Amino acid sequence: MADPIIVGISGGVDSSVTALRLQQEGYDVECVFMKNWDGEDDSCTAEEDYKDALAVCDHLGLPLRSVNFAQNYWDNVFQYFIDEYATGRTPNPDVLCNREVKFKAFLDYAMELGAVKIATGHYAQIHETDGSFQLLKGLDPNKDQSYFLYLLGQDALSKSMFPIGEMEKTDVRKLAESSGLINHAKKDSTGVCFIGEQKFFKDFLKKYIPAQPGHIQTVDGAPCGEHDGLMYYTMGQRKGLGIGGGHGDKEAPWFVADKDLDNNILFVAQGHDHPALHHKYLVANQVHWIGGSPPASLDGIAAKIRYRQADQPCTITDLSSDQIHVKFEHKQFAVTPGQSIVFYAGDQCLGGAIIENRN
Amino acid sequence: MLYFDHSATTPIHPDVLAKIQSVSQDHFGNPSSIHSSGRKSRAILESARRTIAESIHAESSEIVFTGSGTEANNAVLWSMAQREKRHVITSMVEHPAVLKVLQKLEPFGVTFTALSVDSHGLVDPKELEKAIQPDTGLISIMMVNNEVGTINPMASLVKVAQSKGIPFHSDTVQALGKTPLSAKAIHADYFSFSAHKLYGPKGVGFLFKRKGASLNPLILGGSQESNLRAGTENVPGIAGLAEAVRLATARLENRRNHLSELESIFKSEMATDNIDVVYNGHPDYRVPGVISASFQGQRSDILLAKLDRQGFAVSSGSACGSGSVEPSPVLAAMGISEAQNISTLRISFGRGNSSQEVKKLVSAISNIIHG
Repeated sequence: MADPIIVGISGGVDSSVTALRLQQEGYDVECVFMKNWDGEDDSCTAEEDYKDALAVCDHLGLPLRSVNFAQNYWDNVFQYFIDEYATGRTPNPDVLCNREVKFKAFLDYAMELGAVKIATGHYAQIHETDGSFQLLKGLDPNKDQSYFLYLLGQDALSKSMFPIGEMEKTDVRKLAESSGLINHAKKDSTGVCFIGEQKFFKDFLKKYIPAQPGHIQTVDGAPCGEHDGLMYYTMGQRKGLGIGGGHGDKEAPWFVADKDLDNNILFVAQGHDHPALHHKYLVANQVHWIGGSPPASLDGIAAKIRYRQADQPCTITDLSSDQIHVKFEHKQFAVTPGQSIVFYAGDQCLGGAIIENRN
Repeated sequence: MLYFDHSATTPIHPDVLAKIQSVSQDHFGNPSSIHSSGRKSRAILESARRTIAESIHAESSEIVFTGSGTEANNAVLWSMAQREKRHVITSMVEHPAVLKVLQKLEPFGVTFTALSVDSHGLVDPKELEKAIQPDTGLISIMMVNNEVGTINPMASLVKVAQSKGIPFHSDTVQALGKTPLSAKAIHADYFSFSAHKLYGPKGVGFLFKRKGASLNPLILGGSQESNLRAGTENVPGIAGLAEAVRLATARLENRRNHLSELESIFKSEMATDNIDVVYNGHPDYRVPGVISASFQGQRSDILLAKLDRQGFAVSSGSACGSGSVEPSPVLAAMGISEAQNISTLRISFGRGNSSQEVKKLVSAISNIIHG
């Protein structure tokens, strides 16, 4: 038997079809189920997901092994997640999970098992030219996940495959159904994987970070209520502010505009178009370029400051250090410290950085 | 595929299969029915019981058929919840079918002491004696360990129990067919057995319950098995079980010799190939053909995967835990270091293995380790 491709299988339809497609193309395929969270919370669906993965692998006749990276995830992803929230920022754990767990711990494990490459069910594509690897957007514009993969480097890309990156999600589900995969209609996972649904978010965070209630003010300084703790709010958030009628002079909704950590004040602004909610400039750090160094040309680049956002034309005005300054062509709504800004040249994902500040 | 995992389960023996097939085809009657079809099934059932009783030197009335060895263990242990003396003494290297059950029994007032073992996996009868409390109502110690094949000093352990008047149970699932086992020689009160470990069918086992020993039924709702195990009997499975037990005892010496020979071929080939290996378990008090081998500097999950890929089936006591392998509790209880623990494979030979196959296995291991 030839050395296998090892698929990271989650029990979802995307990674299942990843294994299926590789098998159909004639590769020797083996699967590994990663358990990255040891919680006993109801929100953790790992056991159910494992059963689905096992059913798919049994159906396809593929070996399935299971590996536990919970300690690794806790140390390298979750700790960062909590630290960031504790300082009032809004981190993106999935970006880090990809770098630290899926494309490091899992990749290393698969190589030890004798894999030639790993494959995952991400909607993204890898192209190679002259020994250099480019990360491209997934073909399905609604599902493109390159945003979450911008922290990958040349080594990881050279050992990875995204077999469904050139498929539309609807075709993935169709193929799953016609091939008899039991999870062809399984709901996509949403939200942060270890919390589950968004409605549990507050309770979850409360377990790890003490909440410090404080005042809410308008960006002009007028008091308008109390907040439960700055960590529960994110820039541009509209729901859950508890600001009813009687504040402000028009019937427009309120949005989170800023946080004053030193004084524990949450600033809000009324109306989506309020200037305090829009910024043309941002500073970001922890810059990572997929090619290993900044691209030769940064002409005509664009960026996303959140998943599934349309590409926003921008220029990088200062690229001299680990910190970069970005100027957008158009003002951006809710630029959020802690989130990632990811750069593109057309369909190619160039890399990205963590948003530090905006103005 | 070459199969070296007979401690997990065994392929069915052709004679056993023939028996199951003929009984399934010809005798579908319910043994509880009084008509001729039922009577014929009952005759098969009782003949199976006699065969088994003779094989282990017991009385027919001392054999209770169950759905598995695990069920036989459960029946004995769950009975403790209804005893006055609810303290149980067991060992740290028992199968989960004993240890997990005892943990689950704690809310029912059953407490237990798990005896430590020495570096070979042996339980010390003196330690057993020391652990006995006024409310000790059962001692449950396995005869043969499933991971390392060590055989406990059953006669001495049972003697301690008898001297204090405490009932003794032994999980003997890994013993029958690999070492002599006689209810006359070992005066335990209960033994648990499984068919699929000795070339019999899956889903059937039995409990030896010495005359006078008490048992509360685990499964209720019928008078089968003298009210000790309700449910229409698995007649074909039981007939197969009896044939498997008969063969296992009648051919014990042949099978033991075959396994010993394979084992010595394995070990000498390993030495020839210069493989850095440590064998766990007792050098003498052990069943033949069950090898617990630690491969210096290797990881069992990686070895398993690579052997599986090349068509060799072996296993390890370690499981997926934190990190990629969780150390085996059995090896840990024997005081084996974590590094050695997670480098350990269990290779268990069977009657179908040939010396040629064993040589292929060693050469595959050698290729993986030496590259």
